[in-house]
Amino acid sequence: MKLRRSLFFLTLTLAAASAFAQTAKYSAAPGSKLKMDGTSTVHDWTVESALIGGTLEWDAAFDAAPKPGKAAGAKVASVIPVRSLKSGKSSMDAVMQDAMGAEKNPKISYQLTELTLKEAPKAAGDAMQFESKGDITVAGVTKPLAMPVTITRDGDKLKIHGATTLKMTDHGITPPAPALGLGLIKTGDEVKITFDWVTKKADAK
Amino acid sequence: MNTTSDPEAQSDLNRRAFLKGGSVATLMAMMGGVPLIAQEKTPEGATKYKTSSPPVNCGVIGLGYHGRDILATLARLPNAPVVAICDKYPAFLNRSKELAPKAAAYADYKELLADKNVKAVIIATPTHQHKQVVLDVLAAGKHVYCEAPLAHSIDDAKAIAQAAKVNPKLYFQAGLQDRADPQRLFVLPFVRSGGIGTFGDARMQSCKKQSWRRASPNPEREKEINWRLVKNLSTGLVGELGIHSVDVACWFLNERPKAVTGFGALRHWKDGRDVPDSVRAVFEFPSGVTVTFDGSLLSSFDTSLEVYTGSDATILVRDFKAWMFKEADAPLLGWEVYARKDEFYKQEGIALVANASKASAQGGATDDPAVTGFTPLYYALETFVTNTDLHHAAVEDFAASFGANADAAALNDYLKDLQKTKKHAATAQDGYEATALALKANEAILAGKKIELGKELFAPV
Repeated sequence: MKLRRSLFFLTLTLAAASAFAQTAKYSAAPGSKLKMDGTSTVHDWTVESALIGGTLEWDAAFDAAPKPGKAAGAKVASVIPVRSLKSGKSSMDAVMQDAMGAEKNPKISYQLTELTLKEAPKAAGDAMQFESKGDITVAGVTKPLAMPVTITRDGDKLKIHGATTLKMTDHGITPPAPALGLGLIKTGDEVKITFDWVTKKADAK
Repeated sequence: MNTTSDPEAQSDLNRRAFLKGGSVATLMAMMGGVPLIAQEKTPEGATKYKTSSPPVNCGVIGLGYHGRDILATLARLPNAPVVAICDKYPAFLNRSKELAPKAAAYADYKELLADKNVKAVIIATPTHQHKQVVLDVLAAGKHVYCEAPLAHSIDDAKAIAQAAKVNPKLYFQAGLQDRADPQRLFVLPFVRSGGIGTFGDARMQSCKKQSWRRASPNPEREKEINWRLVKNLSTGLVGELGIHSVDVACWFLNERPKAVTGFGALRHWKDGRDVPDSVRAVFEFPSGVTVTFDGSLLSSFDTSLEVYTGSDATILVRDFKAWMFKEADAPLLGWEVYARKDEFYKQEGIALVANASKASAQGGATDDPAVTGFTPLYYALETFVTNTDLHHAAVEDFAASFGANADAAALNDYLKDLQKTKKHAATAQDGYEATALALKANEAILAGKKIELGKELFAPV
C-alpha cells in the first residue's frame, strides 16, 4: 500500500517535471554588475549597480545543445532599480536620480524580442556570441536596442555580458549641468553601459 | 551635547555672542530668529536638481532638553519628517508638540514602535534606559540613532552593539555626532598625516558653570530627571560630555588608550549629589601620546575645546570651528597665506574652514555655525537620514532583484560595498568603544586611580 502510494507520487512528479521541461528558466543572482560611464566638461564619471534583477528563459532543447540561429523561446526581462546606481557620492547620486525622474520611474527595464546565436560553442563552458534585439525603458521612455551579448555557462549559472551606448536625450533626460558648477559643468549626452549579469537556473538548488 | 534649546546652553551662546559685538545675524539668533542665508541661485544654463535623499519618517523617544534639541534640528532638515514622538512625562510631550505639530504623541514607546508610519527612531532617553529601548526598536524592524554614551554599563553597551550587528538589515548610528561633522572630517587629515609636524599631545575640555540639576515639580520627578547626579546611574562629566571629544581624539589618533588615570572632586554644587563637579582624566595611548580631559561645572573659562599640539602647528577646535597656530620655524604650506586669520591674545589663528570655497560660491553665506545652526548634531542627523535611506533602499532592492537567490552572505557583501556611498558616521562598534572608554574613565575618576585598559575592552563585539 505504502509502495503503491509512493509510486503514484513519483509518476505524478515526473509528469509535472516533463510538463515544464520545454523551458529552461534562469533567474537573477547576486554577483552582477552594471557600469555606466559618462563624460562632462570637467571629468569623466562612472556609476555602478550590483543589482540586475529579472529572468532569462529559452527552450530546454536549446539550453542542452545550443545551435546557431534564433534561440527558440528566448525571453529576457531584466530590471535595474535607478536608486541602486552609485557614484560613491550620495549627493551626486541624488542629482542623478532626480535627473532620471526616479520617483516616477524607479526602474530601468529591458525586454528581449530576439536572440540569435552566431556560432555553436565548441565546449560547454565556452562563451557564446549572440546578437540581441529588444526594448529598453529609461525614465519612462522606451527605445529599441540592438547589441551583441556574450553568454557563458558556469555550472548552473549563465553569465551574460554586453555593452552599448545610450543617449540621455533619447530618453527625454536633460544632461545635468549642476548649479554648483554655475551651469558651466555640463555632462555629455552619451553614456556607455557595460554589464555582467549573473543568472541561476531556477530549479537548481 | 550641544543643547541649544537647553536654557543654560542658550544663555551661554547669548553671552558669547554679545561679547563678540554681534552682527545683525547674531542679534537675530539671540532673539530666537531664523538666520536668513542667501538663497542658492540657479545660474543660467544650469539644471536644478534635488541634492538631498528621499525623506525618512522619524520617531523620537525621550523628549528632555536634548530630545527637544533633536526635534528642533530635525525640523530644519528637508527630508526628516517627524511622525511620532514619545515621552512618559506629559509636560515634555506637550512641550514637544510645538516642535513637531504633525507628529503622533505617545506616552509609551511600545506604541510608537507599533506605529507603521515610523521608519527610523532617534533615542534620547536617559542613558541607563537606552538598552531596552534599542533592543525593542530593532526588534520592531526600525532603524536606530542612539545617543552617546550608549549605556551606563559596559555590558549594556555591548548588548546594544551586538543587537545592531545581528540586525544587518537595519541601519544603526551611534550619537557620537562629531564623527559626522564636516569640520572634524576636515581637520582629521591635518592631524593624521603629519600636517602639524610631530604630534605632541591633545587636550580636551568641557567647562561650563551650570548645576546640572534640572527643575522638577515633585520628589518623584526630581529622582527621575536628575539621574545624572546619582552615582550609580550617572556616567559623570566624562561620560555625558567628555565622551564626544575623547572619542574624536581616539579617532584622529587612530588608536585606543592603554590606561586612564582619573581625578575628581565635588567642589561647588554641594546639594546632596554624589558625583564630582570638577574632573580630570589622563589617557595614555600605545604610541606614547597622552590625551587629557578636563570637565567642570563650576567654571566656564574657555568653555569647550579640543587642542592638538604638533611641532609645526597646533590646532584648536572650539565652537564647532577650527584654527591652526603655526610655529615660527614651520614650513610654509601656501594656502594659509590666503586663509582668513582671527586674532587671539598674542596669537594669530589661521581659520580651518571646511567647504570654504563652496560657501563663498554660494554667495558668502556666514560660516558661523552658532548662527547658521549647522551644528555637529545637524550633520549627524542629516547623515542618519541619508544613510538610513540608502541602507533601507539597498536591502529592499536586493531582495526584489534576487528573490530566492538572495542569500544573507551576498547581502552582507552588498551592504559592505554600500559603505563607500554612505556618509561618515559613528557605527555601533564606535559607539561601544567610546562608551566603554568613557565608563572606565568615570570609574578612574570616582576612585581617583589608574586603570589599565586591555585590548579586549575594545575588541569587536
